[in-house]
Amino acid sequence: MSDEKIIQIRNLTKIYENGVEIRAIDNVDMDIETGEFLAIVGPSGSGKSTLLHQIALLDTPTSGTILLKGEDTTKMSDKQRSRMRNEELGFIFQYHHLLPDFNALENVMIPLLIKGIRRSEAKKVALQLLEEVGLIDRADHRTNQLSGGQNQRVAIARALVNRPSIVIGDEPTGNLDTKNSDSIYELLRHLNREHKQTFILVTHDLSMAAKTDRIITLVDGKIAEDSRNVSPT
Amino acid sequence: MSRRRQTIFSVLAIGLAVMILMTSQAIMVGFTQEFYAKTVDKMPHVTIEPKPDEDYIHLYRNVVENIKGIDGVVGVSPVLAGQATFDYKDFSKNVIMQGILVNDHDSVLHINEGITEGSFRDLEVTHNSVVLGDKLSDKLDVKIGDYVDASFPEANPATLKVVGIYNSGTPQDETLAFTSLSMAQDFFDEPNVVNSIMVRVDNPDNAGVISHKIDSMGYPASSWRETNPEIMQTITLESMSNDIILGLVIVIASFGIVSTLFMVVMEKSKEIGMLMAMGASRRSIQKIFILESGILGLIGAVVGVVAGIIISLSWGSYTFDTGGEAYAGVSTIPFIVRAQDAILIIIFTFLVNLIAGIYPARRASKLDPVEAISGE
Repeated sequence: MSDEKIIQIRNLTKIYENGVEIRAIDNVDMDIETGEFLAIVGPSGSGKSTLLHQIALLDTPTSGTILLKGEDTTKMSDKQRSRMRNEELGFIFQYHHLLPDFNALENVMIPLLIKGIRRSEAKKVALQLLEEVGLIDRADHRTNQLSGGQNQRVAIARALVNRPSIVIGDEPTGNLDTKNSDSIYELLRHLNREHKQTFILVTHDLSMAAKTDRIITLVDGKIAEDSRNVSPT
Repeated sequence: MSRRRQTIFSVLAIGLAVMILMTSQAIMVGFTQEFYAKTVDKMPHVTIEPKPDEDYIHLYRNVVENIKGIDGVVGVSPVLAGQATFDYKDFSKNVIMQGILVNDHDSVLHINEGITEGSFRDLEVTHNSVVLGDKLSDKLDVKIGDYVDASFPEANPATLKVVGIYNSGTPQDETLAFTSLSMAQDFFDEPNVVNSIMVRVDNPDNAGVISHKIDSMGYPASSWRETNPEIMQTITLESMSNDIILGLVIVIASFGIVSTLFMVVMEKSKEIGMLMAMGASRRSIQKIFILESGILGLIGAVVGVVAGIIISLSWGSYTFDTGGEAYAGVSTIPFIVRAQDAILIIIFTFLVNLIAGIYPARRASKLDPVEAISGE
């Protein structure tokens, strides 16, 4: 069924021209189903981050199309793409990128406020998310008063606060030690099962990739391998 | 921390520029009002002249009575003026001799306030007497009680006793000599006529309306604005050039805000990229920075206006030595703070800063979110 395919990528190509032409993504076709928990792996320079930025609507492809929920995003205006990013997509980066002038609660509220939700309502929803990531008692702490793992949890709460249908992680645990990165993985997996959200993670961490439902390996901007995990943990 | 300090300094720079503009505006308004009051006070608000084909106004007593009946008229003075030559010992000067009725003329031009020696009243008590402008008396080297010889072709020569010295603070003090109206009529040999009627009104701004009314009664009249168009021009020109220069100072001060905002855009590019990733559109990012610029400008403007008002009110007035008769004897300028100036300056500064904010705001909105977020 086509409505199960939340992301449909066709002939996607991204070329960077800095004097030399670099094909970061070369004619990629890919479908992702609703609720999938998938990892994109590959050596550095293989184009995995570039591909992720295209899906995340942070960048525009040179050619090809990306359909999110059946809508062609390459034909959208900046305003439409912004709305899509706000409502359908959540981002988790390697660094938390929380705004240092605000506390944890306010940071989580930002996507809701951008969407135009009233402050009082936004506060309620944000507190609920902080509870889900286990940081309800740190709501009024600022970035510099929280540990790396805690900040990343706040960033996850922020990414998920609008209940996006797709959550995108660019090395979400790349900056954390093993213990913290395991618990972050468990949290993401739990949220994936709880809310049936689609998760796409770019990672270097093969042990983490091994725990996902599906692994896509990119080499030189092309899909080299697309394997399904039969028994993901 | 250093950025916060830079922001405060750039806001203060605007505040300083606005403060100077506010204070200067207060002094400009004060000067204009003072100059206007002093100058207009010393001139007849409305002047009635003989009909176009006549040299004199006949039956002037009727005209005076008619004009006195007009609402808003506070003084009417019939005057017979003409040229005369005054001789005293070896000195000789051509003068304008004005024959006046002392009380009537005082009601129009407050001449008694300008008397420095003697009195105008003696013109009507002492026959063949004269009051001289102080510069004129210096040039003739005469003092109170001296006698000058007045003569002119086709006039009846007379010897006049100096009964007063007069200072109006205008260049007229070099040429003007007052006599009684009857004396002037005898001298020029034109009994029962005058050649102008001067009128004072309660509000100089209404001079035009009253002049028009007199005109329609059949007596050719003109207001002080028509007889002295250069007064308003001078004032407008001076305050306009003043405003332009100080407006540019505010524009320059606004560049401080622009450079501060550029720093903010550079330093916060990660956060800006993040906001974009979270769904803030480029337009809304642009709006944030334009508004920030405008608000910083607004804070500076309010601080500056308040400081300017405090300075103006505490200083009160500015006194200086005119060193002559320039500016119609204005030597004290009150600082006049007007609400409309304060509001106009604040709005102007706010708008200038909104416009100045466009450049850094465009820069912020053009950031590539991928580069901004991943860039170190």
